[in-house]
Amino acid sequence: MSDPAPVEPRPGAGDIFAALANPTRRELLRLLLDQGEQPVQRLADHFAMRRPSLSEHLRVLKDAGLVVEHPVGRQRLYSLRPEPLREVAEWLGPYERFWRGRLAELRDVLAELPDE
Amino acid sequence: MSDPSTVEVDQYLPHPPAKVWRALTDSDLLARWLMPNDFAPVPGHRFTFHTDPRPGQDFDGTVHCEVLDLDPPHRLSWAWRGGRLDTVVSWTLVAEGRGTRLFLAHTGFDPDDPVQRRTRDLLGGGWRSHVLTRLNHLLTTP
Repeated sequence: MSDPAPVEPRPGAGDIFAALANPTRRELLRLLLDQGEQPVQRLADHFAMRRPSLSEHLRVLKDAGLVVEHPVGRQRLYSLRPEPLREVAEWLGPYERFWRGRLAELRDVLAELPDE
Repeated sequence: MSDPSTVEVDQYLPHPPAKVWRALTDSDLLARWLMPNDFAPVPGHRFTFHTDPRPGQDFDGTVHCEVLDLDPPHRLSWAWRGGRLDTVVSWTLVAEGRGTRLFLAHTGFDPDDPVQRRTRDLLGGGWRSHVLTRLNHLLTTP
């Protein structure tokens, strides 16, 4: 049973947690997760704040390695880079991880099991 | 939902509920994806799961269980006790398309447990359940 001692975040994770501490930045990540890569203009439509403030939030996310931008023509497209969030996912309660792991095993067992 | 005393996970399985039910209630199948056990699908049946002990957490490797509720192929719940835990694991099977959505609720955790509390402080509200659930899927899907 995976019921380990509390997992301490590794060094460097602090940037991620600081980035996630802000609701606007969490909402930006949610939009990128749900809707995929998009230009800053489209992200800005979801917020009442001025563009420079939004750009600052995107910069924090970029510094934390959570989003990447690349220019396409005159636009900058932003997309989610989920890998650093693995750290956070691992930080969830040990039982959530335990059951997600078990359910993945269950899926494999069912795949091998005849229907009757 | 972010009830600190509850862990909730759900999973779509591309198999009919009757087949998923078998994997949940056949002792040998259960052992293949969960742990060795002496489960029997009988209300009130007491059984155990066996895994590695974790002495640092007062856990001797045995989870003491009891079948609390059994409604094939819809609902199944077990008491789940071991170490410092006195909890309940409940499974709900819901037909979805050609498959089954399996809901797991593991309830009765101590909200004052330090791990629970830190997770709650860090990521409150729906963000955790919505985004991290989807993210977890993204990270575990090749």
